Amino acid sequence: MSASLAPECNEVKERYDNCFLKWYSEKFLRGTATTDECKPLFEQYEKCLSKALKTRGIDTVLKEAREDNRENDAEHMRPARNGELYLLSN
Amino acid sequence: MVKFYSQSYTYDYPFPAVTLAYFLRYPNPYSTHVLSTDTISRHFDPDTQRLTTVRLHLKRSKLPAAVLKLLPRSILGASAGGDTQSFILEKSVVDIREGWMDTESRNLDFTGVLSVIEKQEFKRPAAPSRLEDWQGIEGATRRRESGGFFNFGSKSSNSNATKESVLTQSSTPEEKTDVVTTVTLHSHIGEKWKRATTTPSSSSEEPPEKQGFFKSWSTASIQRSIEIIGLKRARRSQPNAKEGMKVVLERMREGGLVAVLEGMRKDRERIMGAHGGVRGKGVNDDDE
Repeated sequence: MSASLAPECNEVKERYDNCFLKWYSEKFLRGTATTDECKPLFEQYEKCLSKALKTRGIDTVLKEAREDNRENDAEHMRPARNGELYLLSN
Repeated sequence: MVKFYSQSYTYDYPFPAVTLAYFLRYPNPYSTHVLSTDTISRHFDPDTQRLTTVRLHLKRSKLPAAVLKLLPRSILGASAGGDTQSFILEKSVVDIREGWMDTESRNLDFTGVLSVIEKQEFKRPAAPSRLEDWQGIEGATRRRESGGFFNFGSKSSNSNATKESVLTQSSTPEEKTDVVTTVTLHSHIGEKWKRATTTPSSSSEEPPEKQGFFKSWSTASIQRSIEIIGLKRARRSQPNAKEGMKVVLERMREGGLVAVLEGMRKDRERIMGAHGGVRGKGVNDDDE
């Protein structure tokens, strides 16, 4: 598995990644997924990661990037597939 | 000025395998400069069967000597040799029902110098009743008691069945995946400074010494030079990105998910060994 940028999150990341790969290959790719079964594990991973991002000051970089992207997307709006807008930020 | 680079390619692997390989493409022997990959958000929509993922990659990179010559190192935050690290934000949307995956990656650092946006559109070639075919294969796989699509988590008894199922899929001639890659390069260098001078009330984002630096240069020509350097780099890194995907797909075909994860583990060990950790310097210094 790929490493986390925060070594202290490697363990919880690996647990989540394993869960995701199983769900993705056994449910999602078959078109039989009904819920994201790995959400509880993701939340644990996210908790660890967001702390690490904050400590390293990356959270502000990310926030700015997402805001910039929103601006750029607004400037260069283009319809994507199925008429939806393809935005980097959710 | 903006520069573009575009290329089409067809993987000889079925669409679901290619999407899985995309998520598992780091580390691979062609991406030893990728230090970490984290998922920062993920959303599954059961109604559309779409999965949206945002990931953050940390890459070690070496700035080209040409860029170092153009710009003071103080702006770039690089070492004397041009060694630096940069974050890449990647968003992907997979629609398994319609058979496409759109991805978009952009750099988070040096965006003032050069912003690079890579978009990829993966597509299952159009064919009627594709999903039924796929489910048919899946059904057959299950009947052979493989116990799982890519044989997740099982090391011994199921590996033959998995190998067979993935081989079956990829040996069908129409089981291919098309991809179009577009890279957009845009240098914004000098633009912030220009904005700052027109609105003197706003606090200057740039340190004052840069103004003196830019005075002696034509902003447009620096931008153009940087975009050309970036374009050359993008052209050079594309084959590596493709080969990396192919290594992962090959491992998947040979031994399922277990083989992919085992390969990743070895690649990761090699990277850590070569660089002595995240801040280290590498031998295999490929650009991307």
